[in-house]
Amino acid sequence: MTTTNKAVLLTGDSPLYTAFHQLLSDTGYRVLSREEAVNAPDTVFLAMEVNSVNLEAKQHELRALDHMLPADVPIVTTSLAITATEAASWTNHPERVCGFGTLVPLTERELIEIAPALQTEEAALLQTVSFFQSLGKETEVVEDEVGLVFPRILSLIINEAAFTLMEKAATREDIDTAMKKGTNYPYGPLEWADRIGLDEVYAISRGLQRDLAEERYRTAPLLRKLVLAKRFGVRSGQGFYNYENKEGCES
Amino acid sequence: MKTVGVIGAGTMGAGIALVCGRKGHQVKLLDANQAVLDKAQSYLQSILTKDVEKGKISEEQKADTLERMKLVSEMEQLAACDIVIEAVPERLDLKKTIYGELSRICRSDALLLTNTSSISITEIAGGLSHPERILGFHFFNPAPVMPLVEVIRGKKSSEENVELAYRFAKQLGKVPVLVTDTPGFIVNRIARPYYNEALRILGDNVADVEQMDRIMKRAGGFKMGPFELQDMIGIDINFATTQSVYSDFFHEGRFKPSRIQQRMVQAGSLGRKTGEGFYDYNK
Repeated sequence: MTTTNKAVLLTGDSPLYTAFHQLLSDTGYRVLSREEAVNAPDTVFLAMEVNSVNLEAKQHELRALDHMLPADVPIVTTSLAITATEAASWTNHPERVCGFGTLVPLTERELIEIAPALQTEEAALLQTVSFFQSLGKETEVVEDEVGLVFPRILSLIINEAAFTLMEKAATREDIDTAMKKGTNYPYGPLEWADRIGLDEVYAISRGLQRDLAEERYRTAPLLRKLVLAKRFGVRSGQGFYNYENKEGCES
Repeated sequence: MKTVGVIGAGTMGAGIALVCGRKGHQVKLLDANQAVLDKAQSYLQSILTKDVEKGKISEEQKADTLERMKLVSEMEQLAACDIVIEAVPERLDLKKTIYGELSRICRSDALLLTNTSSISITEIAGGLSHPERILGFHFFNPAPVMPLVEVIRGKKSSEENVELAYRFAKQLGKVPVLVTDTPGFIVNRIARPYYNEALRILGDNVADVEQMDRIMKRAGGFKMGPFELQDMIGIDINFATTQSVYSDFFHEGRFKPSRIQQRMVQAGSLGRKTGEGFYDYNK
C-alpha cells in the first residue's frame, strides 16, 4: 500500500498517541487531528482512536468520528480496556470499527494484534490489516476480548509484581532482577510498566476486571494508587521508580 | 573456602555441586542411590573435561576440582560441613526428614539451605532446633548456567544467616535476590500469568497456541512463547507449580489452575519429554 499523501486521523490520550504520530509520519502518512479533519473529512483514509483510561472520552471521540467521517472510512480503536464490540456498539456504523492493541514503545513491537468486533465487516478488517502492515508491522488477528493477548498477559504479570512489591516480599530492584535473570524476561515487570505507562496497564487490568468480573483480575491496590497519584512512570518522572533525580538515584 | 554438602545428586544437585566445586569449595555430594552418584560422577568428569578442551581451566585445575569433590552416601559424612544445600525432590515429608537429621548431626552454626521452588521454608524449619540457620536458596535450571539465586528468608531465619547466604551466592558467581517466605517466592509467583493466562485465553478461544507463541515473541520480545516453554519445562511440572502456588495462597483466584493443562497431564501429554505436548515432536 502506498502511503503518499494519505491522511490518517489520529486521536486519543494514551501514550500510544505520540508513538503512532511518530510512526505514521515516518511512514509517510499525513497525520490529522479531529479538528484539522473536520473541514475535509473526505481526505481521511483511516481513523485511529487510542483512549484507554477514560472510557467516556473514548465513547465521545468514537461517536464524533463516526458522525463526521464517510461510512466507508475504517475506524481502528484500541481494545485494551474495553472490547471492540462494545466500542463499535457506540457508533451508527459499527461495521467499519475494528479493534487493535499494542503497547509503547512501538519500535520494540514487530507484531501488532488486531481484534475485529462482532460487527466488523470483512472489508474493514482487511483494510485494518493492510494498514498496520504498511507501518512495517506483522499482524495477528485474534478474537475480541479486553487486552487481546500480549497486553493482557503482560498487564497480569505487572499486576502480580505490584502485589509482590506492595506486600514487601522483595524490593522493586530484586523483583526486576529475578524476572530477567531467572526466566529471561526482556525487562523486569516494574521497569517495563514504567516504560509502558502505569495508567495504560491499569486501564487493561480494570477492563479485564470489569468485563470478566473475577477475583483473578483484581488490580493490585498499589498500582491503582500510583495511577491516582499520577505516577505514570518514565513519562511523568515517577512510577515504580523515580526518574526525576538527575544523578540517577532512585528513591 | 568452605566445606559444602549437597544432598541429592540428580540434575539439580549435581549442577549445584559443580558450581560450588568450580569456586574452590570442598564439596560432598550425597545420594543414597549409587547409580545416581555414578551418573553425577560422569557428569562432573565430562563437564570439567570440556572446560579443559575449551581452555577455561588447565588439566591441573580439573584434577584439583575433582579431588575436592567427594561423592558420599551416608548423611553422617556431612557432619563437618559449613554449609549444606539440599536439592531432593519437592516433597515436604522428605525434606522434613532430611532437615531433622541435619539438625541432629550438623554444627549449630552450619548454614542449612534448601533448594526449593515451592515449599515453605518456615514449614521445613518448623519445630527443629536452630531454625535461624535454615533458609531457602533457590537455583534455576540448569544451575551452572542460570545466574539467579533466590535467597528466601523463613519466618525464623536470622538476619546474620541471610547475609551469609547472600554473600555465599555472590561468591558462587550468582546474582542473589532476597525474598520473604511467600508462595512461589518471586519468579514462580510473578511468572504464573505467563502460562496461566495464556491457557485461559486459549480456553476462551481468543487465540490459538501457535498464534500466542508468535505474539508473545514478536510483540512482547519474550525469548520463548508460553506454550513452547511449557513443553520444554514439562507440562506436569508447570501444572504442579501452579497448583502449589494456588493452594498456598488459599485459592486466590489470580492463580487458579487451568483445566486444559490438567487434561494434558492426565493424558500423559507432558511436552518434549513425552514427544508431545502443545506441539508434536514426533514429526
